Amino acid sequence: MSTTRLLIERLRQDLISADPLPPPPSLPNIPLAPSRIFPRTPETESLYAREARHHTTALLGIGHVGTRYATEVVLQFQAELAVAHAAVDTLLPDDWAEKNGLLPLRSRVTAHREFLLRPDLGRRLDEPSLRRLEAEADKEIDVQPILADGLSAVACMKSGLLLLESFTAACKRRGLRVGTPVCARFARVWLEDEIGQTTRARVAAILLGERPGLGTGDGLSAYLVYEPRVGKTDGDRNMMSNIHARGLPPELAGDRLAVLAKAMIDQRTSGVTLDLSRLSAELGEAASRAPRQPQPRTRLVEVP
Amino acid sequence: MRLSSNIRGVAYTFASVTEVLAKANPPKSGDDLAGISARDEVERVAARAVLAHLTMHELRENPVVPYEVDAITRLAEDSLSETSFQAVRHLTVGQFREWLLDARTSGGLIRSISPGLTPEMAAGVCKLMSNLDLMTVSSKCEVVVRANSTLGLPGRLSSRVQPNHPTDDVQGILLSMREGLSYGCGDAVIGVNPATDTAESTAEILKAIDAVLKKNNCPTQHCVLSHVRVQMRALDLGCPMDLMFQSLSGTEAGNRAFGIDIALIDEAYDQMKKMGTARGPNFMYFETGQGSALSSAAHHGADQVTLEARCYGFARRYKPFLVNTVVGFIGPEYLEDGPQISRAGLEDHFMGKLLGLPMGCDACFTYHSSMGQDELENLKVLLAAAGCTYLMSLPVGDDIMLNYQSTSYHDIPSVRRLLGKRPTPEFDAWLNQLGIMDGLSPGERFGDSRVIRPA
Repeated sequence: MSTTRLLIERLRQDLISADPLPPPPSLPNIPLAPSRIFPRTPETESLYAREARHHTTALLGIGHVGTRYATEVVLQFQAELAVAHAAVDTLLPDDWAEKNGLLPLRSRVTAHREFLLRPDLGRRLDEPSLRRLEAEADKEIDVQPILADGLSAVACMKSGLLLLESFTAACKRRGLRVGTPVCARFARVWLEDEIGQTTRARVAAILLGERPGLGTGDGLSAYLVYEPRVGKTDGDRNMMSNIHARGLPPELAGDRLAVLAKAMIDQRTSGVTLDLSRLSAELGEAASRAPRQPQPRTRLVEVP
Repeated sequence: MRLSSNIRGVAYTFASVTEVLAKANPPKSGDDLAGISARDEVERVAARAVLAHLTMHELRENPVVPYEVDAITRLAEDSLSETSFQAVRHLTVGQFREWLLDARTSGGLIRSISPGLTPEMAAGVCKLMSNLDLMTVSSKCEVVVRANSTLGLPGRLSSRVQPNHPTDDVQGILLSMREGLSYGCGDAVIGVNPATDTAESTAEILKAIDAVLKKNNCPTQHCVLSHVRVQMRALDLGCPMDLMFQSLSGTEAGNRAFGIDIALIDEAYDQMKKMGTARGPNFMYFETGQGSALSSAAHHGADQVTLEARCYGFARRYKPFLVNTVVGFIGPEYLEDGPQISRAGLEDHFMGKLLGLPMGCDACFTYHSSMGQDELENLKVLLAAAGCTYLMSLPVGDDIMLNYQSTSYHDIPSVRRLLGKRPTPEFDAWLNQLGIMDGLSPGERFGDSRVIRPA
């Protein structure tokens, strides 16, 4: 016999005497796990989580099973992720704009996937929209209001109309001529340049759904630009974010955005060169470049 | 130089090495957006066939941005080791791939030729490799660095604690950091992306983190990832700073969009050499990511993998302690989905290691890309198996400031245990002493944040 065959033969002899898998230990008595730390109800919250709650919305003090998450934490996390993904995936219905009395426009994007992959197409109007805007919208105005889906049609449909109304009313109170309200589908921020250029507006204001975070998908952002023209850059714009019921409420945001629009017209500029130092009382946090406040986390999963 | 190949009798001809490199790239939405990708799978293979028969010398002679117009090209060319290059100059890219994969080619041998490789060579061979090829070679590479602790030794997996806060609430940052440490995370760095880019705020956060680390004798290093100019001013104000950070791009124009150039990073490096608080000799921290050059229209018609490699060509000038590719952060217009993000993570890690850098990866996705949580967990295991130097870590992987999903405090000990990896030796000893870890297993105080005392 060759050395190799001899080796294998011996190995087989050795192994055959052993059970391939020894019997398992006797049946365990599995105790119920202690109630886990998330959600933070007073009964289940750890001391550390309680302290952390005052300083951060990060999910701290949630404990662990082995090195992994407790089931409650997994469900909360999956619900937060699902909410964010659903906000991105939701489409603005074709007839939503007209039903709500807005002039419907769309960008050069034809499908949702293309919208995510081609930001350049989301910044320009398609031909029919451009013609319709030229034919039907008021021209030579102070402010062109634009509602849009952006990265969350959910946010647009939820509080977009409220923001648009409060912004329009606040502009009119300040004596500004407001253009025909439009609603743009598959829109990126820079689409306001072509729309405002077409209606010869002094300021264009686009109100659109912002990129969702975990557990949030209903935030709106607003971007304003003076003398909108294709080719304006981010440095030419002023923005306000986190507009929703739990953040900056739409009623208040509309008023602040009108202050911003008026300042642009008065100073004949926007973006980094716009001086907001004397408007800080009226603008609140929007006047500073301060970071936005965290959104409080809410429990998403309940099993009654 | 031959720029054409045949597939089933059909001839494919390319106009330049830049076009060959772009079309040889696996599918990336960013290359589609730039309009430079192969039109189909067959043309992609045709480009790879041409690439496989180009020599390393030809790649050196044809950088994707000309020497005359780009400082990053000049840096790569002027700092190349001629003696190392001579050892590979005659090889085709295909032969070079085979040499890297050869079992007799050790990490030490790769280290000896690394200074003779331009970024285009690393990117070129990357395009001829499958994911498992990339992992096989990466895991051989040896890159060991030291600031306060020693990173990159065999059998180790480190992590950055990333306790970001949307308003830079220092108590919020410290609470998150202490929790991360109690899960065994943070041996690479405690690194905060600040919401406010000011020198005062940078100094305040660093002082607060430093006090907690000192109080607990924790062997790691800290960093606040503001713009390099802001960090330089913070140092002048007077604050501890173990590592200095900057995002890099692969072209001169891309770096200009970031507000930096080589002279500025040279200056930052010199200042850190004098005033940095880590033991060294390594103390710089760089971040990169495919797509950054295109996003500032600074890509010169080159593909995003090659441009990414050129970031590493820039980074290696400073013998950094950490380099990190933030692989899914930039959005689906550059990396569309799970397969693209995973591939990019493995590519970047491979190219960085080949060029001699201590590569980590922020395996992550934004909520508008098509990647799921399970795919992201897969990628963490793949990277760790490939010998990735470090991953990020955050509470439940959720960055509450930057709004994206990354690695979690729970993921790091899970992946380590799965693959038998340990943190840096200094940190490992510290964790065991505090009872946070018991060898590879969770210790009695695992996940108990109170074990880390406030300052």
